[in-house]
Amino acid sequence: MFQTLEETTYESKIAKVSAGILICFKQLCPHCRNMEKAIEKFAKRHAQVSLFKLDMEENPEASQALEAQRAPTLFVIKAGKIVARKAGLMNPKELTAFYKNA
Amino acid sequence: MTKTQTPVKNVVFIMLDTLQFNYLGCYGNETIKTPHLDRFARQSVLFENAYSEGLPTIPVRRALMTGRFTLPYGGWQPLEQDDTTITDILWGQNIQTALIYDTAPMRLAKFGYSRGFDHVEFCPGQELDHTSFADLPLDPAFKPEDYTSPTMVWDEKGEFIDEDSEQLLDEIGCFLRQQQHRRSDADSYVARVVNRTDDWLKNRRDKTRPFFLWVDSFDPHEPWDPPSVWNNEPCPYDPDYTGNPILLAPWTPIEGRITERECEHIRALYMEKITLVDQWIGKILDGIRKEGLWDETMVVIMSDHGQPMGDGEHGHGIMRKSRPWPYEELVHVPLMIHVPGIEGGKRVSGFVQNVDVTATIMEAMGQLKTEGGVSDHGMNTYGAEDYQGISLLPMMRGEVDKIRDFAIAGYYGMSWSIITEEYSYVHWLVDEDEKNSADCVEGSEKTMDEEMWTCTAGAKVEMPSHNELYDRKADPFQLNNIAEKNPQKAEELLQQLKLFIGELRTT
Repeated sequence: MFQTLEETTYESKIAKVSAGILICFKQLCPHCRNMEKAIEKFAKRHAQVSLFKLDMEENPEASQALEAQRAPTLFVIKAGKIVARKAGLMNPKELTAFYKNA
Repeated sequence: MTKTQTPVKNVVFIMLDTLQFNYLGCYGNETIKTPHLDRFARQSVLFENAYSEGLPTIPVRRALMTGRFTLPYGGWQPLEQDDTTITDILWGQNIQTALIYDTAPMRLAKFGYSRGFDHVEFCPGQELDHTSFADLPLDPAFKPEDYTSPTMVWDEKGEFIDEDSEQLLDEIGCFLRQQQHRRSDADSYVARVVNRTDDWLKNRRDKTRPFFLWVDSFDPHEPWDPPSVWNNEPCPYDPDYTGNPILLAPWTPIEGRITERECEHIRALYMEKITLVDQWIGKILDGIRKEGLWDETMVVIMSDHGQPMGDGEHGHGIMRKSRPWPYEELVHVPLMIHVPGIEGGKRVSGFVQNVDVTATIMEAMGQLKTEGGVSDHGMNTYGAEDYQGISLLPMMRGEVDKIRDFAIAGYYGMSWSIITEEYSYVHWLVDEDEKNSADCVEGSEKTMDEEMWTCTAGAKVEMPSHNELYDRKADPFQLNNIAEKNPQKAEELLQQLKLFIGELRTT
């Protein structure tokens, strides 16, 4: 469901996305696992939204460039650009509002 | 389709505020007389390990009305527009709904906990509504100081000990103003709620329509004013006590303020009040039978929490809910459910949370699979699709032994705890000073910001040094903290707790 982004290619991949959500995560972060489930639930009702994930520890430069300091940090991507960023947890209802308002 | 799978016609949900589970005969108490509730227990399914998740009064009502945990979201606060209540889901269906109550916190300005009921009947005067009567003249024969212990109010110089002293006498004065013309037990708070309920069941409901009735009795919550106090007789559970009756005590730690003997007497008055509540609730149960409703009506009896009333297992050294401490005497609640077609007399030991009761009621009414939409007339309708509670019917039918591996409890913004078969663990969200000074509603002003729900690079789970671990089998009332001796188990439970609350936060 999620496409994995990496340090060297994330910028070019994001530039091609018309509608997407990116989660910057850490492998051992329990909150990230919960947030991924919420994103998957959101995606079931928003099939047009592509999902991406980026491991913050394996991609420190990309994380820094994205200003993702805490895990999870979520990004809304619209028309190839990051238009919103938020760290922390959201439920599908809050995520929908976050996506729509971005 | 078997009878148990056919939706029940009616539901009567009875909430008895501040009824501690181990003060009931059916939960093993051999001193306190509760024959009506004990009989109901024999005819229903009794849950031995039911826990309220978010405390106190208000979050429990919010969880029960919405079927969703409150602990990750909020504490003592109004029902929100975004909350979907049982009555929101029942809107537009042929089910009449009624709320008969005297639980005054539900009726705080803008709190909105009567939303959506067709029939709402509030019986005034209980705590937080008591000041409505502050301007009534009080017969000079009634003196507030005669209804509490003088050493809880004045110091050795005859001066008020602190601002709690004056507040205590004011509060007692308001209750005396209401009860000064009392003639019999029928004037008690619980009797008023029961009599209005009995009258609604017998005379005022539309007998051609199914109903959902929520009865919310604040008794046996304090004031501790059972019949012996008004009849000027010894309390039957403490006949040798010679001091003043103790209608109320200050919201404080007991040390230096309330003696052990006084705590003992308060508990005896509480016991007597429970016996009074038992007698009157029996009237509702009898009324349900007399009306021929028993075989078509689900009946739930439960409490929202217990009550700290002294030292050790009685309250960890505090009186009333003066601290946001989620210990066993507070968070473990009685729960009994009668569902027509399900054999009574069973006892279930699996963990249950109050939100599960909502899912059970909705499944019994055939409402659990509902989804939101738009009515034929273009009005929004709402369903149970966001429920986090799990129906108890499979456990009640004996199809499964358990639905949860553990329970959680706590005060929003202040404390989280996890209760497993082997252990209980308390995680403090505040430092030790705040833990020992905050009251039970202050947490509602906290913001659970992003730091609560995120990790930083390289960070591991940090366990505050004042967190607590208990051996639940040897020490069910959490008196001997073994966290220091078992750091691995403590860390494992903290991780499990955080994962679960985070999961609730994202669903």
